[in-house]
Amino acid sequence: MLNIFYGDMPEAIYNTSLYFNNTYFDSWLMDEFAQKMIRSIDKATVLSGQAVDSKALGVIPATKISGGLKTLLLIYNQPQKIFNASTCGDNCAKWILRIAKKLNTDITINLRHIMDFGDGQFEIRILNNDKIVHNMSELVVYAGEFL
Amino acid sequence: MKGSYEIIIRNNRIQYKFTIYRNITILRGDSATGKTTLIEMVDAYNKDGAESGIEVLCKKRCVVLERGNWMRDLKDISDSIVFIDEGNGFVKSVDFSEMVKNSNNYYVIATRDSLFNLPYSIREVYGVRNKSGNRYQGTKRIYSEFYPLFNAEVLLSRPDKIIVDNEEAGKVLFD
Repeated sequence: MLNIFYGDMPEAIYNTSLYFNNTYFDSWLMDEFAQKMIRSIDKATVLSGQAVDSKALGVIPATKISGGLKTLLLIYNQPQKIFNASTCGDNCAKWILRIAKKLNTDITINLRHIMDFGDGQFEIRILNNDKIVHNMSELVVYAGEFL
Repeated sequence: MKGSYEIIIRNNRIQYKFTIYRNITILRGDSATGKTTLIEMVDAYNKDGAESGIEVLCKKRCVVLERGNWMRDLKDISDSIVFIDEGNGFVKSVDFSEMVKNSNNYYVIATRDSLFNLPYSIREVYGVRNKSGNRYQGTKRIYSEFYPLFNAEVLLSRPDKIIVDNEEAGKVLFD
């Protein structure tokens, strides 16, 4: 299940872009699921473990992919760690839900804003009050008080 | 600084053109829209000037502020437009809000964090989007602009009543 802690969280990695640049492995970009995320968010195709061909920027190193995508790749590859997912735009939200589903384990992210997880149903535990919410209406009610 | 400032930042692959109206502008929106690229271009121009191959057209100096010695650096910046990218947690601090309040700079801050210490207008929260693209000497060039993230029509509505916690609410903010 996806767990979210809202608000300041000292143990979460805040600057995910910097952390990604210094910790990613080539294999992270070669994964099939990761390549779908890369196509979806950055409109880019993977050329190697260190470079992608982006629609907007041309061929760029992995360290130049978007901040949101870096955070998604960190959550996917290091589910035991907690990352500041407020570096992700709403276009990353569906991928956070998919990562939680695919990994089939509890993952925890830190949010400092209300991310829009869309109109569908989901299952998210808000760690601040241990409430499980199933749609955005519930999430806003229970998460809003911590932001 | 007072008034609005048009800013054009470009190289041979991308051009940003936008106007900032108030002392604090917030950049949010989807990932991979070019917020970081914009700020990196400002930084490169600020460090290397025209030798960077980047053009920054603005009546005021544009600079980038980063974590580390941000407080010392900001003390030396005046009459400028200060860009701050995501990952700089100091933007939430009271120290930063005090320095903003006592400076004559404008600030463009990329963050989705709640900035309770900074008084900014909901009208000055923008996303970045690609407006168009063309071929420039055989190279694809993208044109990007800012767009307001909040519905202006909603903001124009007048509430019948506003509930506040006491009669002094907002006094500190607006004084």
